[in-house]
Amino acid sequence: MAIITLPYRYLERLTGIDRELIISRLPMLGSDIERIEEDHVDVEFFPNRPDLFSVEGVARALRGFLGKETGLPEYRVNPSGIKFTVDPQLAAIRPFLGSAVIRGVSFDEEAILSVMGLQEALHWAVGRGRSKVAIGIHDLDTVTPPFHYNASERTRKFVPLDYDEELTMEEVLEQHPKGRMYSHIVNNFPRFPLIVDDLGRVLSFPPIINGELTRVTTETRNILLDTTGTDERAVRTAVTIICTAMAESGATIESVEIEGVRWPDLSPSVRYVRTDECNRLLGTGLSPGEMAALLQKMRYGAAPAKEGMVRVEVPCYRSDIMHDWDLFEDVAIAYGYEQFAAGISPTFAIGKPHPVNSIGSLVRQVITGFGFIEVIPFTLSNGEVMFTRMQRPVPDDVLMILHPITEDHTLLRTDLLPLLLEICQLNRHRELPQRIFCVGDVVRGVETSQKAAWMSIHPAADFTEAYAHADAICRELALPFTVRESEDPSFIDGRRGDILVNGKPAGVFGEIHPAVLNAFELEHSVAAMELDLRALPGYPGSPGTP
Amino acid sequence: MDLTQNEKKLLMALGPLGSADPSHLAERLSVPEEAAIQYAHLLQDRGLAIVERNVVKHYVLTDEGRNYARHGLPERQLLENFGESIPMVELTRHPLAKIGIGQMRKKGWIVIRDGMVEKTGKSGPGDDEAALQDPSEGKKGIADLLKRGLLQETEEVSYRIALTPEGTALAAQGVEIREETGTLSRDQIISGGWKELKLRRYNVEKLPRRIYPGKIHPYQRLIEEMRQILLQMGFTEIYGGIVQSAFWNFDALFQPQDHPAREMQDTFYLGEQLCLPPVFEKVRDMHLHGGTTSSTGWGGTWSEQKASQCVLRTHSTSLTIRHLADHPDPPVKAFSISRVYRREAIDPTHLPEFEQLEGIVMDEGVNFSHLLGFLKEFYTRMGFAGVRFRPGYFPYTEPSVEPEVYVPALGWVEMGGAGIFREEVTAPLGLEHPVLAWGLGVSRIAMLRLGLTDLRLLYRSDIEWVRDTPSILPEQIPGGD
Repeated sequence: MAIITLPYRYLERLTGIDRELIISRLPMLGSDIERIEEDHVDVEFFPNRPDLFSVEGVARALRGFLGKETGLPEYRVNPSGIKFTVDPQLAAIRPFLGSAVIRGVSFDEEAILSVMGLQEALHWAVGRGRSKVAIGIHDLDTVTPPFHYNASERTRKFVPLDYDEELTMEEVLEQHPKGRMYSHIVNNFPRFPLIVDDLGRVLSFPPIINGELTRVTTETRNILLDTTGTDERAVRTAVTIICTAMAESGATIESVEIEGVRWPDLSPSVRYVRTDECNRLLGTGLSPGEMAALLQKMRYGAAPAKEGMVRVEVPCYRSDIMHDWDLFEDVAIAYGYEQFAAGISPTFAIGKPHPVNSIGSLVRQVITGFGFIEVIPFTLSNGEVMFTRMQRPVPDDVLMILHPITEDHTLLRTDLLPLLLEICQLNRHRELPQRIFCVGDVVRGVETSQKAAWMSIHPAADFTEAYAHADAICRELALPFTVRESEDPSFIDGRRGDILVNGKPAGVFGEIHPAVLNAFELEHSVAAMELDLRALPGYPGSPGTP
Repeated sequence: MDLTQNEKKLLMALGPLGSADPSHLAERLSVPEEAAIQYAHLLQDRGLAIVERNVVKHYVLTDEGRNYARHGLPERQLLENFGESIPMVELTRHPLAKIGIGQMRKKGWIVIRDGMVEKTGKSGPGDDEAALQDPSEGKKGIADLLKRGLLQETEEVSYRIALTPEGTALAAQGVEIREETGTLSRDQIISGGWKELKLRRYNVEKLPRRIYPGKIHPYQRLIEEMRQILLQMGFTEIYGGIVQSAFWNFDALFQPQDHPAREMQDTFYLGEQLCLPPVFEKVRDMHLHGGTTSSTGWGGTWSEQKASQCVLRTHSTSLTIRHLADHPDPPVKAFSISRVYRREAIDPTHLPEFEQLEGIVMDEGVNFSHLLGFLKEFYTRMGFAGVRFRPGYFPYTEPSVEPEVYVPALGWVEMGGAGIFREEVTAPLGLEHPVLAWGLGVSRIAMLRLGLTDLRLLYRSDIEWVRDTPSILPEQIPGGD
């Protein structure tokens, strides 16, 4: 999540609004306040609003939301005359480049931290961990234009940031902390992306690390921005968000010509939206004028147009506006979520439980009637518990997790009884007898279905108890069942039975094998039963098929 | 006065005697001696008898004490070992010097001057030496010997039971002694014999043995309560598979294929693949360029292979969206409470699987105000005092809202998320009306209701906790306020 630090002094200077009001209204703009500190507040903004990942961006939104300055913020872009070439070989590696010149910045340590914070948040939210977009910021006055974005030999040498000796690009991937962190993005390519100036000096090895040469310091006044990536739209988003944030802080933006195209374009896009569609979605009765005023509070350019339409100018930094409804949500936020009348729709429908859950409830009722306590174990389990300890063979269709986190959770349970025994193991020191049961999902192949199981542990638990309960439970469930001797290795030979419904196996009961008891570290005999609920009359076809 | 049968018997036995030893009474009553003493104490509590407790102390020499009784205390032995004086250096060589010299000085038998030990002449036999020969109670010197570990003390307790004047009077007057009955027999009940019986009284102040009923797990009860609320509000219940294709879990919900939540670190992927349903092309177009709507789509590329991968459902929305695809005609009011999976390491507030509640309403003319209305109604029925709304963000809803409920001990608590399904979600499935949707983590409410700080307790049950958690919590009474 993107947590942005907002220093009060800077924020108050940018907005002209005092901190108490800001803190009380920020959540209603769409954010979670994480921490309120002496000199700053840490706020989490949603990942769809990277334009709020800087103090300047938040100030811009707050001035509108709190009525200080509404409507579209306009940004001038003068040509810098600087050019950038792009090597066609990059098309298969990292094809897109965006750039801009930012002049007249006045950096103190705090401001540098703030820009780096924005850069990191954008790398996370827009850049997908730099794979989609990576951003470099350089001291323009240390290098000589024009600049070149090349596909370089992997053995090219330069001094990476925070180093004082030259490394080859391959060495950077192996040795530099950032190299190790991001090498997976470029390592498979025969050549590496590289940005150099006209004298062949290295500005950056995107998306890994800048060169030491163009390090930004408190002395830096003019910046060259490079943004590379695999998705043009994302590259544009990152460039516009950084440029407009810097412009908000007082810098001026100049364009760079990349293969004949001018970057950045900070002009708004235009959408026409329908007032009646907005009112239908929100349940409001806004006029086009009211709707336009609300949109202006959210920093759109907006004016009523013909036939109940509103013409909306969407600022370049609002990359989240994909659809008209995105604008309607901003209308709702400007209107105030607390202002909506919350009324239930007259939609008529009759409630209906799902038969699988109805059956589950009934089975629970029946089993609790025999004095059993319900437990709800995890559905994730492992082969040791599910099969090895149970002395059962591993079925072919057990569903394995591809990348488990722990050895405890490597597959989805096929049965419930092993998990009941495991819970008893955890409760060894608790008073006996323990009679527990579970009703829930099991998975075979990709198919989910339900089972029920119970077990009873105490010194006198035996086959008779198991059979008597199995018989009673099946009768209560109106199962047309028969019983035959079982061969389930989890139970003692001669003290186990299979439950057959219409001649097909639907369950098993008996006295648990002492070797299984040993494996679960249990010290008393156990009577138990497991039943496949698909055998029950009324269980629907295959509701658990994906 | 309600005397028990045993008290009465003891009283009547004591009557002619006035006072007696417990052993004698025990014999008369044919009970063990301890029982007779216990009944006597009960009579004492009623002021009818006095139980006199006598303690006699006995002393026995320890092994060391027996040795000294025969040969004299170490200091006596040492004293008799030299004349009027002796150099200290020489005396310390004696095996008893260690204990003896100190004791001799303490008793004033000797003084030590210029390295010489001189007798003072005041060394008559002491009380301790007398007690050592005859250790009986009351002798001076006993305490010293006990302190030196030469004697062991044992206590002999004896009782004498005597009637008080009230007891004597009651015994003289006589009490009725009838046999008491514990368990009523079938014969006694049907023959009317019970009328003649004296039924034993029980003491209600003594707690009974603890027994436990069979019961539904407290968490399951909470889930059941939520089910009932939604069924009463006219919602149809959905049940579905744990395994879903990434298509239904993510793509149909307009989650871009490079969204972080789809990565291996957050989602449990499976080796299995599933065929895509025919609607996949419309969903793909929506991702690529917004299909036929006003949306721009995500751009980039869209992979059929990625969509056909199987996952453990990461949210129950994968079930509701399929339900909508199968039921495109309004109205639809549906809900599910299902276990969902996230690839998270286990800690007190994070589990790899947990229950999620999800509700949807699709109908002509439903809107954002109605969504807030449903949320308010549901949370109010769940017993929360206040509900309020803040803007939120979820990839498949627009507008989105985060409801908060008021909990007296904690203040405003975030309680799930809600919104209207984006047109990018509904249009490819042919849904023509807005879909209101909300979801919440059921365990969140369980923590508040059951006062839990560790979610693991719900799934790795401590049987004692389930046994001791009442089946009914006051705020659970249906229809109550």
